Amino acid sequence: MPFEDPGHLPNRRGGEAAEPYDLPRQRRGITPQMHGRYPDFDVLEQAPHWDEQTRAVVLKRLEPPPYRFFEPDERPTLEAFCDTVTAQDGEPRIPVLRFVDLALSDGKEPGFRYDGMPPDAEVWQRVRRGLDDEARALGAESFAELAPELQEGVVGRFARGELHGGVWDSMPLKRAWSVTTAGILTAFYAHPWAWNEIGFGGPAYPRGYMRLGIDQPEPWGGHEAEGLARDFQEDVDADPGMRP
Amino acid sequence: MKRARLFKGSVRPPDNDSAFLLDPHRRHVPGAARMQRYGLQGAVDMVIVGAGAGGTVLAQRLARAGWRIVIIEAGPFWDPDRDWVSDEAGSHHIYWTQTRIVGGEDPVAMGNNNSGRGVGGSMVHYAGYTPRFHPSDFRTRSLDGVGADWPIGYEELRPHYERVERELPVAGEYWPWGDPHGYPHSPHPISGAAERAWEGARRYGIEMRVGPVAIANGQFGNRPHCIYRGFCLQGCKVNAKASPLVTHLPDALEHGVEVRADSMATRIETDAQGRAVGVVYVHDGQEHLQRADVVVVAGYSIETPRLLLNSRSPAHPNGIGNGADQVGRYVMVQGAPQVAGRFPEAMRMYKAPPPEVSSEDFYETDASRGFARGFSVQTISPLPIGWAEHVIADGHWGRQLREYMRDYNHWSVLGALCELLPEPGNRVTLADEKDENGMPLARFDYTQCENDRANIAFAKQVLHDIWDAADAQDVLTIDRYAHLIGGCRMGTSPDTSVIDGDHRCWEAPNLFVADGSALPTQGSANPALTIMALSSRLADRLASRRVSHTTSKDGSRMVSVG
Repeated sequence: MPFEDPGHLPNRRGGEAAEPYDLPRQRRGITPQMHGRYPDFDVLEQAPHWDEQTRAVVLKRLEPPPYRFFEPDERPTLEAFCDTVTAQDGEPRIPVLRFVDLALSDGKEPGFRYDGMPPDAEVWQRVRRGLDDEARALGAESFAELAPELQEGVVGRFARGELHGGVWDSMPLKRAWSVTTAGILTAFYAHPWAWNEIGFGGPAYPRGYMRLGIDQPEPWGGHEAEGLARDFQEDVDADPGMRP
Repeated sequence: MKRARLFKGSVRPPDNDSAFLLDPHRRHVPGAARMQRYGLQGAVDMVIVGAGAGGTVLAQRLARAGWRIVIIEAGPFWDPDRDWVSDEAGSHHIYWTQTRIVGGEDPVAMGNNNSGRGVGGSMVHYAGYTPRFHPSDFRTRSLDGVGADWPIGYEELRPHYERVERELPVAGEYWPWGDPHGYPHSPHPISGAAERAWEGARRYGIEMRVGPVAIANGQFGNRPHCIYRGFCLQGCKVNAKASPLVTHLPDALEHGVEVRADSMATRIETDAQGRAVGVVYVHDGQEHLQRADVVVVAGYSIETPRLLLNSRSPAHPNGIGNGADQVGRYVMVQGAPQVAGRFPEAMRMYKAPPPEVSSEDFYETDASRGFARGFSVQTISPLPIGWAEHVIADGHWGRQLREYMRDYNHWSVLGALCELLPEPGNRVTLADEKDENGMPLARFDYTQCENDRANIAFAKQVLHDIWDAADAQDVLTIDRYAHLIGGCRMGTSPDTSVIDGDHRCWEAPNLFVADGSALPTQGSANPALTIMALSSRLADRLASRRVSHTTSKDGSRMVSVG
């Protein structure tokens, strides 16, 4: 069975993730960066089976929404931040910040605000300033221009609550991390390309699911294909260039 | 003729036709178009704020007893076909997303898992678990020295539990915990993910059972069988999962209840004597007053205290019901840590309803654990965004996050519901900031006590141990909260409670609170069924005049509580 062994999981590898480009190239449908565990699964092929309202909501996400909230000079830094949190290091990318922008410009609120925190939109702007401050301290013009390893270093310190001084002292760091990452994860994992990558069957109304047991994919797909590891090795052997 | 011999097993509820009034081919509530309209000229018998679990059951019962009732609801009158989607991010609008300020040492995230907005209330997006409270929940002060004793006991609620379970209807195995009982619908088939959890529990030495969930397992009136699509938390487009929108509202409308949706109650109006005369609400930017003989607030643990505190008058200078500074206190949440276990096979936990099997083996106090009261264990099945929140909460972002997300189909998730104790300082108050209607925002401060922390830590260890016993290959943990209870609790003294055992406000005899805020303790049970059962009981007592809401100037017509 594919991925029977958990050796690829970060907790089994001292916190390091396995090399994602070692996974097979997507053959059907799109995933972010085009490598994944379900190379022959495209959830969008099921769209004709979804109810009309759900189909409209999901398919709209395939059109990147225009920016309405973030100013042009704020975007590169925050785009780089979103891509670092979601490990998007190549095309095709889910345009995460555009969906965050859409939610902020719609005035959508999550239903609460931590005491001592500014409104969510202001949190994003402060995080942008803080990230650029960190980048300048490392000798770059902005966070977007930092090398990927350095970007990951800054984001790691943000995640662990280790950033201090300047704008970081204006709000609890832990809350700023949770406000921004909640927006990022909602945008990324609402996107059908991400569903392709993780093998999520997606909306299932009015059809429903009928095979509830272990190792029982629906007949219409979502397979973590039998022999995936072998297929993948053949892919790599045939095209060593698929590694970046 | 001995008719009783003909009625055995699961039969249709004798006094609620809701399931039969629904359209078999459409999900909207058919009676909405020809709903009774009362107008604003005169007083109705009762105005209820909030069309959720508490308010709708009360309205349905009393409408059948001839009461003329108007429900004021802040959110929309849902048409599930039109308004709901099988999608996580697209379901933002079914939650109460108006901003609340959260503080304290352990602030509670609000919105998507604990407050609803719209006709049907939070039950539109609850998972569907409907366990009863245990008899011990009503006497935790006497039994365990913590929490509070209720002014009523389990026995008074039992007939209403049975009645509501039949109306929802609840499906599940025979329930061996608390007051043992059966359910009207048989248990649902369970998913592979739940089987794994159950196997782990068996090896670890604890009992689990399927259900109880308020999801039809078979045709029920014009409501169909569950189709196992997994989007229970996004609103059931199938009409299989129970919410007041399908279980009580159709019958309520048929008996003359009017629902005014998209109407935000901002104040309870009182007369010079301090009696409630009606509710002020805003609809389309216009302020209106609905007068009524009886005012019922059923807006749940944040909005009910907010409305009462905002209803200041010369007779109630600190807010109605708040003369003893009790409104908004003792708000509880359940500690709801979740631990996920990883398995070699593909389990695809998104199939089947998120609630499947649960255990109440740890429900009551066990002195050897070192803390009072306990917790329950339930399977949970997060969809992708929920799973991503779980993964990042365990400290994984970037490539690690993507890797655990790609592994989604190999995981099964167990959650605990820990009974956190009522504390006076865990309170809803009014913030300085105001909303678009000029009403102060609610502020909710929450801090755990030592007993709470010990309970959550122990429960998390049990979840880990279950996965160990199941031979899970990896585990991921998230700390979170679930549900809301308390804020206007019932009691036996006006000094320590807001309402009496008949939900009547100590300070205004024709003002009642009928929602989750009335509960003095929360147990380790999901609260929906108990909120409904309490309203069912209150309706019985009001309809049979065992509780009075009338007082004459000299008090001569006042009927005592019987």
